[in-house]
Amino acid sequence: MGPIIISGLVSGSLYALVAAGLSLVWGALGVFNFAHGALLMMGAYIAWTVASSSALGAGIAAGVVASVVFMAIAGVVLYFLLVRPWIGKPGAELSVIMTTIAGGIFIENLFLTIYGGRLKVLDQIVVGTIHVAGTAIQYQDLLAILLAPALLGGLALLLTHNKTGLAVRAVAQNPDAARLVGISVERIYIVTFAVSAVLAGVSGVMLGGLFNLIPSMGADPLLRAFIVVVFGGLGSLTGTIVGAYVVGMIEAFSSFYIGIYWTPVVLFVVLIVILTVRPTGLMGQAT
Amino acid sequence: MTRPSLQILALAAVIAAALVAPRVFAGGVAQNLAILSLLYAVVASNWDLTLGYSGIFNFAHVAFFGVAAYVSAIATIKLGVPVWWDLLLGVAVVAALSGLTAILALRQRGIYVALVTFALTQLCVALVNSQKDITGGPVGLVGLPDLAIGGYAFGGHPEAYFYTAEALLILSTLFLRWLATSDFGLSLIALRDFEDYAVSRGVPAVRQRVLAIVASSVFTSLAGGVYAHYLIVAAPDVFSFSLTTLLLSMVLVGGAASIYGPVIAAVVLTVGSEQLAALGVVRYMIIAVLIVLTLRFLPGGVSSLWRSGWALRWRGGADAPSMTYVETGAEAEKAP
Repeated sequence: MGPIIISGLVSGSLYALVAAGLSLVWGALGVFNFAHGALLMMGAYIAWTVASSSALGAGIAAGVVASVVFMAIAGVVLYFLLVRPWIGKPGAELSVIMTTIAGGIFIENLFLTIYGGRLKVLDQIVVGTIHVAGTAIQYQDLLAILLAPALLGGLALLLTHNKTGLAVRAVAQNPDAARLVGISVERIYIVTFAVSAVLAGVSGVMLGGLFNLIPSMGADPLLRAFIVVVFGGLGSLTGTIVGAYVVGMIEAFSSFYIGIYWTPVVLFVVLIVILTVRPTGLMGQAT
Repeated sequence: MTRPSLQILALAAVIAAALVAPRVFAGGVAQNLAILSLLYAVVASNWDLTLGYSGIFNFAHVAFFGVAAYVSAIATIKLGVPVWWDLLLGVAVVAALSGLTAILALRQRGIYVALVTFALTQLCVALVNSQKDITGGPVGLVGLPDLAIGGYAFGGHPEAYFYTAEALLILSTLFLRWLATSDFGLSLIALRDFEDYAVSRGVPAVRQRVLAIVASSVFTSLAGGVYAHYLIVAAPDVFSFSLTTLLLSMVLVGGAASIYGPVIAAVVLTVGSEQLAALGVVRYMIIAVLIVLTLRFLPGGVSSLWRSGWALRWRGGADAPSMTYVETGAEAEKAP
């Protein structure tokens, strides 16, 4: 039972990090970033490039810092190229789905061209194993379990207490009124995209330490994040986090008791049940 | 010349071209490309019915194509269903599946429809990969029997597949044109452009949209079945992200809500992407850039160019179909 719960918690933490970025952007800008999975992959590869002894070899700590800085910039670039030209135009929602799908394809194939399709191994941030109540836990797993609540808790605090955080919520609720009281909506959009991209990059670095790096590594987490946000309700940070842990647990338990091959079917059924019983998600508001 | 006689003339010209084309592209790479682009044209133009005319973010469309390919493969290889009947079985299964998907997805609005249909497609891939005994897993199911009429097997005569694909595209296009200009099609456009008003005038929103998705699945699944027979294999790449992107680029570059635009873009992009095959994955990067540039500078796609000219000359530009996606209620209600 212990290992299953740990596995569920680790998946849930990672899904929460990935889905929170999506949810944040949706809340503030009303668009959905389909390139989020590619950003995740990008974060992992940048960390690998700086950290790995077969590349720059500066160590994993430098890799993480480089990844965070790079992702913040990447998020802003992505915003200007793929989102900003369509904001406020009719059909922005659909257009941005298309542009970010195209952007994701571009980034993924760019990295495939640069790095090749072979698996890369990213050093774990912390190495070793700890025993808790008779269950062996890798430090990296433990880090994921602790990091997600810390980061997302910090994010929640920023959104409720920090001036910029409050401005993000103001823009999410009513961009016009926010502009009237002197908030630079454009700046908030940029900050939101940067934060979202950093969250994606951090999830990529964590995932890279647990599995391996391939250019298509973002696809699976993105799909899980979709299910999470449908489950939790887009735009609600609490709903997203709860949804992430529920999906992580469902996955862990069904892999163990029903078999790993049936896990997609179980998720499928869960998705259908949610849609039938509560189409707006756990905490989502009716649209 | 009046418009109906012009249309009959155009149809006659298309049929004449369809009879001649297989003799011009009589073998090898050109023939293969022609057959693939015709089948992709069917899929892309049917996607236009939901994406363009109805404004539904249905990303399960490629799954309809893929599932039909697998139904044909499983029916003929595992169950011994005679050829042609497996195509009909594919249509029936996919129609049921698309109806179910639509009913589930359309409980939600806007972006949620995209997420749910996207997730359903990905879960199809996961299912196909995991259920090896039925689907052949990642390798796919190889060895579909050839389509045949009497004793005339298509395998020895690839031009027969050419004619089949052409017939499929012509019938599909006639069907789509008829649907788009019918009362049903108009109600879809009305729902897309001004949902609240359409509903208040008695258009049942969910029913029309579910019907639109089911209607878009019919020729898509036929194309999927023929595709599997032609390639002799149903493999998981029918659900792949790169095929989705290619088809999406056909709809967008060709021009949403135009039917003919995606058909022409399908031919151009299939041939173009094959010419760039030597570049490897770089061609997907080129297609991605093409999509973004089209959305940025020519949101109506290439067909909006000729349509604006056409509308001016023939109809004074008065009743050219609307190309703007007016936001559906989701966005309108979000703003206070």
